[in-house]
Amino acid sequence: MRDLKHRVFFEQLLSDVKNELVEQALEDGKLALGYSCYFVPEVLMNLAGCFSVRMRAPGITDTAIATYYMSEKTCMYSRSILERAIEGGYNFFAALLSTETCAMMHRAHEHFDMLNLVKDQNEKFFVTHMDAPFVTKDYAVRHYARQLQKHVLDRLHDVYGTDVSEEALRAAIEKHNELCRVVSEIGECRKQMNPPLTGYEFHLIELVSECCPHDLILPYLKETLEELKTRKPDETPWYRVRVVLAGGENDDPDFTRLIEDCGAFVVADRYCFGSLPGREEIEIRDGETALAAVARHYMETNQCPRFMNHEKVQGRKQYLKQLAEEYGADGLIVQQQKFCEYWEYERMYCQHVMEPDYGLPCMGIEKEYVNTSVGQLRTRFQAFVEALEIKKLAKEG
Amino acid sequence: MRYYGGCDVGSTYTKAVILDETGKMVASVIQRSKMNAAQSSQTAMDACFSQVPALRSVDDLTYIVGTGYGRNRVPFAAENISEISCHAMGVHITDPTVKAIIDIGGQDVKGIAVASDGTVKNFAMNDKCAAGTGRFFEAIARSFEMTLEEFSALSLKAKNAIPITAQCTVFAESEVIALVGEGKAPEEIAAGIQMAVAKRCFVMAKKAGAMGSITLSGGCAKNEGLKKAIEKVLKIKVTELSVDPQLMGALGAAEFARRKGGAAR
Repeated sequence: MRDLKHRVFFEQLLSDVKNELVEQALEDGKLALGYSCYFVPEVLMNLAGCFSVRMRAPGITDTAIATYYMSEKTCMYSRSILERAIEGGYNFFAALLSTETCAMMHRAHEHFDMLNLVKDQNEKFFVTHMDAPFVTKDYAVRHYARQLQKHVLDRLHDVYGTDVSEEALRAAIEKHNELCRVVSEIGECRKQMNPPLTGYEFHLIELVSECCPHDLILPYLKETLEELKTRKPDETPWYRVRVVLAGGENDDPDFTRLIEDCGAFVVADRYCFGSLPGREEIEIRDGETALAAVARHYMETNQCPRFMNHEKVQGRKQYLKQLAEEYGADGLIVQQQKFCEYWEYERMYCQHVMEPDYGLPCMGIEKEYVNTSVGQLRTRFQAFVEALEIKKLAKEG
Repeated sequence: MRYYGGCDVGSTYTKAVILDETGKMVASVIQRSKMNAAQSSQTAMDACFSQVPALRSVDDLTYIVGTGYGRNRVPFAAENISEISCHAMGVHITDPTVKAIIDIGGQDVKGIAVASDGTVKNFAMNDKCAAGTGRFFEAIARSFEMTLEEFSALSLKAKNAIPITAQCTVFAESEVIALVGEGKAPEEIAAGIQMAVAKRCFVMAKKAGAMGSITLSGGCAKNEGLKKAIEKVLKIKVTELSVDPQLMGALGAAEFARRKGGAAR
């Protein structure tokens, strides 16, 4: 299969948080708004004059200073974010929008204020922490909408004069939906038995859509979608088995590539920073305000294990099973950052129930933000692929 | 007669096995691994050829499978298979009654549940540190100024085991030195080390869902003191294998080669 035209460009964009498209948007006078969690609706950070940057720490090798502040018993992703902030990596941010969803990341974000990070470069910079509900009942969605109004819209309007009117929100939703349609259509290609793109390539595409200004990355994504319509895969599929990759934070395309190097095509990305959920269009129902629609959408589509009521817990397993069926997956890999309080339990649960209750063989991986023990991971993935292959052969008789 | 090779390039030892077409093991070798995995595999296979007059080079083998950490670097292998699958197969053809394996290699510990056809039913593996592995034992034996065999024999003399809290190689070494400094009996410290590793093996075996008869494979399977400690924590007798347990990965690889090479004919 020929290389995607923009693959190298996408890889370059992901090698630095302040990449060339971010620089361009800043030069155009736009405000960069940082966030790390799905509970902060991306669409609200893409109002006119603003753009969202989902926070990563590419190339980080050492978290010594962040570890001093947060202790080593915290997830390496949150420590890496703080370390990168201390290094000055997010000094271009106009604001950091945070939620009290994951305690460790929340703690990392609090240190932006405590250590006066970014503020010394931009005195208008602010960090805001919003409360996110644990249930998705109507009253909880209304509370969430109020939080979004108070912590995102009001702050942006008061500090930077951003237009947060109903019309502005509807325009942002429309643009957001356009990007979602393009990315989703690209992602749909993974359902094909001999697909014209790899899971690694899709991971790059999804990440650039989250880490670059939408209006600047969209033309590249559209071009990639057109390219995929005529891109010819090799005659026989390159993979041995197909897997759904689920779990917590994962912004490392090399992790996906490692799995695929072992013969498992990552057909669906149900993890934080993935597209499932994340790239569903937002629908504004009759009589609903744009903000209410956003709040409802992000609560309904959310697959975070922070929701612990029975309905949501079972719903997450059912969703994984449904993805496996839609994308023709043979197995499931659930990965989590070491010390991730939510996904640690969810991973163990999946390992216990997914095969016996849902017929989906499952493997669990506990990993660090920076993967150094690639050899051992490779052995585990390869062994899982071999086991899935044998099960597949047995099923086919 | 056709011959089939399996080459297991591990982090500390390289093992090679040659099977004839009936499945009989006609040659085997265990050598210290070199820095260069390709070189390790070549010298191990050459040593095997010296045991079979009919064989002179890898070209005389019908099919070769590479396994172990250096499996991608075995230049003459037709394919590579993970050591998890190979250990399961090696143990299965040695003793089909065995249903679970604890494989303690140079840099990792694995628990493997084996299906009735020798394939992997489930497995668990330590994530990255070398605690409870061959390298851990080497470091600890060094701090006792003993060989691994002497260390193992020493632990068997103990009437009690002093609990060792640290699992990390570096901290465990410090803890051992502190205990020696306190005048504690060396055999009881050694038994404590064996027990600490055995507990880790217990966790891996349980995580893999190991049930029924269990055996040990990998270099550390020869550590009699560890075997006894594992029997104690698992409360079952570990099944003895009729073939050197360190060869299980290479044997499984050779068996896969025999099946795949045979099927390809």
